[in-house]
Amino acid sequence: MMTLLSSDCYHLHEGLSDEVPSSEVHRPAPNEAAQEELFLQKLGARGWGRIHQFRNYYGPGWGEGQGRSLSPRAMAAFCQFLETATFPSGCLPSVFLTDRGGLELCWENADGKAVQVEFTSEGAEYYLEEGEIESMVSHAKMKALAEQLSAA
Amino acid sequence: MSDPFPIPVPARLPDSISPCPIVEAIFELRFTTTETWATLPGLLYALIRDKYRDQRRLPLDHVPEELRKDSAFTHMPLLQFLSPDFLIQLGPRVISLVTKSNAYPGWPRIKQELEWLLGEIKKAGFLDEGERLGIRYIDFFAEDIFPNLLLNVHLCGQPLKGSECQVATVLRRPPLAMRLIASNGAVVKVDGVPKSGSILDVDAWFGALDFDVFENGVKRFDDAHLAVKQLFFGLLREEYLATLNPQYP
Repeated sequence: MMTLLSSDCYHLHEGLSDEVPSSEVHRPAPNEAAQEELFLQKLGARGWGRIHQFRNYYGPGWGEGQGRSLSPRAMAAFCQFLETATFPSGCLPSVFLTDRGGLELCWENADGKAVQVEFTSEGAEYYLEEGEIESMVSHAKMKALAEQLSAA
Repeated sequence: MSDPFPIPVPARLPDSISPCPIVEAIFELRFTTTETWATLPGLLYALIRDKYRDQRRLPLDHVPEELRKDSAFTHMPLLQFLSPDFLIQLGPRVISLVTKSNAYPGWPRIKQELEWLLGEIKKAGFLDEGERLGIRYIDFFAEDIFPNLLLNVHLCGQPLKGSECQVATVLRRPPLAMRLIASNGAVVKVDGVPKSGSILDVDAWFGALDFDVFENGVKRFDDAHLAVKQLFFGLLREEYLATLNPQYP
């Protein structure tokens, strides 16, 4: 369904109005069609569905009462990362909402070693099981991080 | 894919045209907060009540909270605060400044009100993170607008003329995204009287990583306003613009 800025200052002639929305059709928000396609391609239907849930149904206080809503900055950084990231053949990463409103992405590299990245409102923190590496980067480095971890 | 922003930007932009076609302009901020909806209106109202005395509950506020969780409602306002010149709309994740219908006060006055409002939002302390900063201008024209636009719709190789028509597209001028709707089948109330004609509905916004509400929020509104103005005047055919009595600085 499109989410528009709200205004009721005009309405369309009947012939141009939307029909009753179909529950079978999901209409991405304006400018988000490419993003939705990206989620489907790289995370599969399950990952796409989880992100939809996190964005829309996890308000402040979710979980044990301390969970924060998904950070819009974390979400935007996550999208920038996904645009460049590649994953081993047949691998669909898992995605989680963290207590602080970040998005955590987990998968195994070609050697079966864990790779975890948490996107937050401040940047991205990552962990590579291979070499026991932990570090963090700013939002400006999402493309470089994706290239680095795709090769890990 | 073709040019993401194919509209030519005019060398000179009018300050105004008359009659002014702007029906409504909305300046919107989407955000996250740790405050519940039960506390949010009070936090804001305490700071704006000298200017915005009256309140109006919108129909969605009567819908149970569980049903409002549907993504279609996430960024919809539930409450309006009214002043003689503007109204402020507030929802659990959105706040917007809206001009009075058919009474566009001009950009300098709007910018002044936005500066004041962002200051009050900062004082209220409920805003956790900005998600989207956008502006939307809705213009009404009594005639079919399509022949007057640099926008052609063809069907089977023939120009589509005289039919009810609506075109919606998303254009990109990074970091701005802009959604344009043009329709020749709209009804708008002008001075309380419904009139049928055409609308141009332009929405331009910055994403979460491209603005900081309290650092450069007003500047970003300024940027978006200029981009919408350029799109609007870039889209009109020169000969049509000349009939609108443009006033240049």
